[in-house]
Amino acid sequence: MEMYVVLKVIWAVLLGVLLSGLGTMVGMDMGVGTLLRFVGKNDGERRVALNIIGPHWDGNQVWFILGGGAIFAAFPTLYATSFSVFYVVMILLLFSMIMRPVAFEYRSKAGSTWRATWDWAFLISGALPMIVYGAAFGNVLEGVGYHYSWTGQYFQDESFLGYLLNPFAVMCGVVSLSLSIAQGGTMLMLRGEEPIFGRARVAAIGAAVVAAVLFALGGVWVAHMNGFVFTAPVDPNMPATPLTGQTVGLAPGAWLNNFHAYPLLWALPAIGFVGMLGNAFFNAVRVPVVAWWCGALSWIGAIFTTGAAMFPFLMPSSTDPNVSLTVWNATGSQYNLGWMLFFALVFTPIILAYTSWCFYVMRGKVKVENVVNDSHSY
Amino acid sequence: MGKFFKLAGLAVVIALAIALAVVAGDYGPWYFAWLVGTTMIVLIAAAGAVLFDTQEPNSNGKV
Amino acid sequence: MPLIDPSVVDLSRAQFALTALYHFLFVPLTLGMTFLIAAMETVYVITGKEIYKEMTHFWAKLFGINFAIGVATGLTMEFEFGTNWSMYSHFVGDVFGTPLAIEGLMAFFMESTFIGLMFFGWNRLSRPAHLAVTYLTALGSNLSALWILIANGFMQNPQGAAFDPVTMRMQFNSFLNLVFSPDAQAKFVHTSIAGFVAGALFVMGVSSFYILRGVHKEFAARSFRMAALFGIVSSMAVVTLGDALGRLDYLVQPTKIAAIEGLWQDSNANSSAAASPWLLFALPNDATQSNVAEIGIPYVLTPLITHSESRVIPGLLTLEQQAGPRIDSGITAINALQQFGETHDPAALATFQQHEQDMGYGFLAQEFAPNQDLTQITPANHDAIIAQTEKATIPNVFVTFWAFRIMMYLGFYFVVLFAFAAYYSLRNELEKHPLVLKAALFSIPLPILACEFGWITAEAGRQPWSVYGWLPTFQAASSHPVGYMAFSLVGFALLYSCFIAAELYLMFKFGRLGPQHHEDHEPAGHAAPMFATGAADKSWQ
Repeated sequence: MEMYVVLKVIWAVLLGVLLSGLGTMVGMDMGVGTLLRFVGKNDGERRVALNIIGPHWDGNQVWFILGGGAIFAAFPTLYATSFSVFYVVMILLLFSMIMRPVAFEYRSKAGSTWRATWDWAFLISGALPMIVYGAAFGNVLEGVGYHYSWTGQYFQDESFLGYLLNPFAVMCGVVSLSLSIAQGGTMLMLRGEEPIFGRARVAAIGAAVVAAVLFALGGVWVAHMNGFVFTAPVDPNMPATPLTGQTVGLAPGAWLNNFHAYPLLWALPAIGFVGMLGNAFFNAVRVPVVAWWCGALSWIGAIFTTGAAMFPFLMPSSTDPNVSLTVWNATGSQYNLGWMLFFALVFTPIILAYTSWCFYVMRGKVKVENVVNDSHSY
Repeated sequence: MGKFFKLAGLAVVIALAIALAVVAGDYGPWYFAWLVGTTMIVLIAAAGAVLFDTQEPNSNGKV
Repeated sequence: MPLIDPSVVDLSRAQFALTALYHFLFVPLTLGMTFLIAAMETVYVITGKEIYKEMTHFWAKLFGINFAIGVATGLTMEFEFGTNWSMYSHFVGDVFGTPLAIEGLMAFFMESTFIGLMFFGWNRLSRPAHLAVTYLTALGSNLSALWILIANGFMQNPQGAAFDPVTMRMQFNSFLNLVFSPDAQAKFVHTSIAGFVAGALFVMGVSSFYILRGVHKEFAARSFRMAALFGIVSSMAVVTLGDALGRLDYLVQPTKIAAIEGLWQDSNANSSAAASPWLLFALPNDATQSNVAEIGIPYVLTPLITHSESRVIPGLLTLEQQAGPRIDSGITAINALQQFGETHDPAALATFQQHEQDMGYGFLAQEFAPNQDLTQITPANHDAIIAQTEKATIPNVFVTFWAFRIMMYLGFYFVVLFAFAAYYSLRNELEKHPLVLKAALFSIPLPILACEFGWITAEAGRQPWSVYGWLPTFQAASSHPVGYMAFSLVGFALLYSCFIAAELYLMFKFGRLGPQHHEDHEPAGHAAPMFATGAADKSWQ
């Protein structure tokens, strides 16, 4: 196989890894934010909940930044088109993402009205982005309305309301929200004590079960949905431009073609299910460490299932299918992908090492008296 | 043995610093200037504080 | 082809400028205070004196309040390229996105992970380990700035990539050229050290407040001393580096340097002295293309900018005229490129390649062509379109001229202020010179203001280009309806106003409370009345 094709596929897989990491780590913090008002009935409890992720949320948030940066560099055309097509939704996502760091740092620094206001900010900035995140996957599966001029400038063919008020997308949004609540609840159990532990446990189990049910429902829905297929052979080694080189059509159930061709791929949705049910089970038997890793598996399963169904499509166009963005036509140049891979290979082990060290240093249960007495806590 | 590892570690750090300085000095004179300049600025500020403490050895500050 | 709506382009520019300037309110303090705090902690680790730990704690707390908004508003910047500048992202994403991604991998992960440990790890790490964490946070935030400015350096002086007519974008071809671009290097050092000045003046100003009030004497005098020395070296470095940056702009961005200096006619050191004064004051008029009320120092301009005695600095009017042939050539290039895109005709490709270097000027002319279509240029309207495009090749001179002047005057002011502050601090005579203390206190916002004007100089001076010489700003924006832009602009304005109000409230609150608030080893009876006495302070309770 050509080097360029190998690099394109590697970056498609890395995109999946980044999106899974983002779901797991950022989703966990968002879940804690969403649950904040429910697991903490008084200020002390809420501060404990916040300080459980206090030392880590900032590092976790980098998954989000890294996701944006990697899409920008490795899939420039996808970045340019998707962020603009989903403009209103993206801006809402951005508003809630920038509210969160400020909420963490500022909440506990003044009186009770101030704190109550920021608690609402946590709820909004926890729940909304996760719904949007899931809904984006839903919309991408259904195809998005856009086309290009000869210069590569995109033009939008559909209103943002179509992306928000769309039953399948809403369902995907709820899956993503449930997964984040399950993961956030698990983290609260890991480092929290009663009564936070008990309240988080109920929320986490419920959310994991909802996610599993909706994930199954989504599979059935996708099987009957119109999928996108190449109607003529495509050269994976093609120069990365959406303007020429592809002929694309729609066919019902086409998103399952990859699974029919490679039955091994069924392992991916299976991993997702095992993760979601395992998360619920191990929380029920009060072993949150295992439940946490099951939660991570459920994100990996869900995102790679979507990726496997769509491959090589990334964001199909419903109004001009031939310009659909795929792994073959939306990546950066070979030179760029090579350098990026080099940096990823060098820095990922380093990042994993110091992130683990950070979690190791900050291990152990967070107690109310510690939080109140430490002048640096949130 | 512990001392040996400390010295070995220091040697590695120095080797890296020299390598970095050579590369930065050749290709990126400005980056080199930043490395040297920032180190100098931090050291000067720290030296100022140390000097402060010697200027007032009998001050009533909490030590 | 649908037309580009100029009002959407303007709104996108307004939004980017608003969010970037706002983000940049917080960045300089982050860049500078980390290293100053690290210096304080270094003294603590070396001497073991508790007061330096107290200083580290207190300034880190104020730093944290600032850091949070800096991170939050930085997210906006990374997303806005995609949400509002889709053509830009498509056109240079292959080379511009890479430094941003590396920034995430190399720098942002580092600073964000270690800042958690810096705040929460005091009781869990040994002193040297915690010091290392503090330095890594400082290094991480400055590395962040490095990669961002490498990306910005590409916009100022695109090198390390070449245009590819098949994929219709600039493709990355040299990592070393990108990273070691002189523009990126100089920008980074200038910006980072400017941040040091901001951090130093912030610490010095707040310390002055305590000295003026006669509280926290030991704490304030030491903080002042360290900040003053940190600041004097930094502020001198910033001025020197700024001069070097100007010389670079003379080489690669002649329109920017001419606008900065308000230079309409060519400078000529060999003719009369008045021909090349360095302007201290002038009111450039973009409509009449001349200056009103010039006050300048003769003979200085040429040596200042070119570092030589005789080289000519081209004036804006000359630069406009020189653009004429390039615009013609660019129009040919774009028309050939469009033809090649539609027909894959090798002859069209050959024509394009002959004129490729000027293609940006062809894009620039599109704004003025009938229906924004270069193929509709006829001999009848040709001259008028070229003339209009020529006028559009230079930035707004009034804005660039004054943004630069304000930044520069502030820069010199900082050198003077820090010189006095450092001198009196070294002689331990600060209390005899309340004027210096008051000046330091009220100058706290000025370095940040200077940084903002620096950004305006660099980015307004780059206009009309997004990528200098290749992609005009007009072409770079996403094609949104005006309603979308109104929605996001109003949202940003509301959200950002709330943030700045919350930040200032907390900064004043903790600044006034002073270091004893969370330190338990100062005698309680001694600490309590210090701040509760003033009537103004009661409002914060």
